[in-house]
Amino acid sequence: MAEVQQSSGGDGKKGHQKKMAIRVDFTPMVDMNMLLITFFMLCTTMIKSQTLTIALPTNEKVQNEENMSQASADDAVTIILDAKKKPGPVAGTLVVDSVNGNVVNEVYYYFGKPGGDNGMFGAGGAILSENNNLQKSEFLTDEVNSVGDRSARGIRQIIQDRNKDVLKEIAEIKKKLADGEFGSLETKADREAAMEKYNEAASAIRKNENLKKPVIIIKSTPEASYRGLVDVLDEMQINSISKYQIDNLTDADLVMLDDYRKHHQE
Amino acid sequence: MGRVKIARKSTFIDMTAMSDVTVLLLTFFMLTSTFLQKEPTTVITPASVSTEKVQETNVLQVLVSPKGQVWITMNNDTSAQWSNNNMRVALLDKVTEIYNESHRNKISFTPQQKQTFSKLGVFGVPLAQMGEFLNLADEPEGITKMDQWLAGEDNNPNHITGIPITKENSDESPNEFQMWIKAARQAGNDNLSQAMKDGAGVAIKADQNTSFDIIHMVMDNLQTIKQNKFTLLTALKAGGE
Repeated sequence: MAEVQQSSGGDGKKGHQKKMAIRVDFTPMVDMNMLLITFFMLCTTMIKSQTLTIALPTNEKVQNEENMSQASADDAVTIILDAKKKPGPVAGTLVVDSVNGNVVNEVYYYFGKPGGDNGMFGAGGAILSENNNLQKSEFLTDEVNSVGDRSARGIRQIIQDRNKDVLKEIAEIKKKLADGEFGSLETKADREAAMEKYNEAASAIRKNENLKKPVIIIKSTPEASYRGLVDVLDEMQINSISKYQIDNLTDADLVMLDDYRKHHQE
Repeated sequence: MGRVKIARKSTFIDMTAMSDVTVLLLTFFMLTSTFLQKEPTTVITPASVSTEKVQETNVLQVLVSPKGQVWITMNNDTSAQWSNNNMRVALLDKVTEIYNESHRNKISFTPQQKQTFSKLGVFGVPLAQMGEFLNLADEPEGITKMDQWLAGEDNNPNHITGIPITKENSDESPNEFQMWIKAARQAGNDNLSQAMKDGAGVAIKADQNTSFDIIHMVMDNLQTIKQNKFTLLTALKAGGE
């Protein structure tokens, strides 16, 4: 401790030396250290940001129409993001979450072409409400029941339902990974090697042309927030979607959104 | 009643152990810390399940404010040739070259101005005002003035904050934001060019409540100059998958 006791050495019988106690007061030292710690704690970032890599197609006009890859109407799922707006006279102002102050996003989706095979527009540009195949969903996390089984809800369930072939295979190799078929999981190096093999297998499944998988087109109204976009991109990752892209809203989409709101007022 | 005599005890508390602990804590914080960078606007990135760590070198970070202003931060190698300072000078030279190709009012920078630019962590003023901006460094309290300009808080209506970016854009006549990205690709640092090609070299950092309109504008600008792969900075979502 901070006391140094000078004893006379031996059993003290030989001579009577004066005992000296040297005490160093460490309190100012502790004060100073605490100040420094406070400084470092306030000035540092502990959390490193994560990144989400996205690849988008080029903006160049494709010269040859035949080279364009067309998603078949069967596979196409369009997800439309929108910000929730206040109804009534203040229309146009966005609803803000009272707890965290975030913009509230709404998510809509439809399969295939807008308005189904017959389209949204009748003779003379009339809007055919009965053809509106837009549906509303929500961003929801998985529900875990009492046994611990997970079940997806909201938009995730819809995506999973469309991508069940791929997800089934992914679940199989996940089980294999857990059973140690990709190599033992004992040490860190082993685990990394096994993960690499697993990722390769998963990527092969995602690219497998024989499996039926959806093509997801992500669209958003200008008001929807960035968080919604990241949420949708997350769903793509969670549900192993291999083909998705971000696209612009078309007139038909806007008409469908308006039409949906008109018929489903709260 | 007789008085009870209370023996006076010394109140000296031994602080040595306490000091030991605080020094350990201090060491921990000193070793693990990375300092917060001064940024012209504070953004809260959205949460995502992605667990990829952000690349720390060879990356252009595009900071987007909810109002649609754009700033760029460039982090480079630790190598001597492409240190942050050298790379920034190379970038400024290149962007000047690209700018002068398409503008009649040519711009040029003095060695002194380049020196100032090489120390800038984050930049974001129109190129036409860049000279005036860099000259501020020589004035008293110049650094504070520069920060205020970058944050749009200097109450000078002539000072434009953020790199000019437009919704309508083309590869042939790029706007200034696109010029900067192009300049970074062509500045001669192969590591950075490669990172940008792989997509890890450009990171968009935006607030979670930024409207899609603005994010789309930035993405569209990148797509037009064939920077089709890039990353979005996110925070880790608790309880992921």
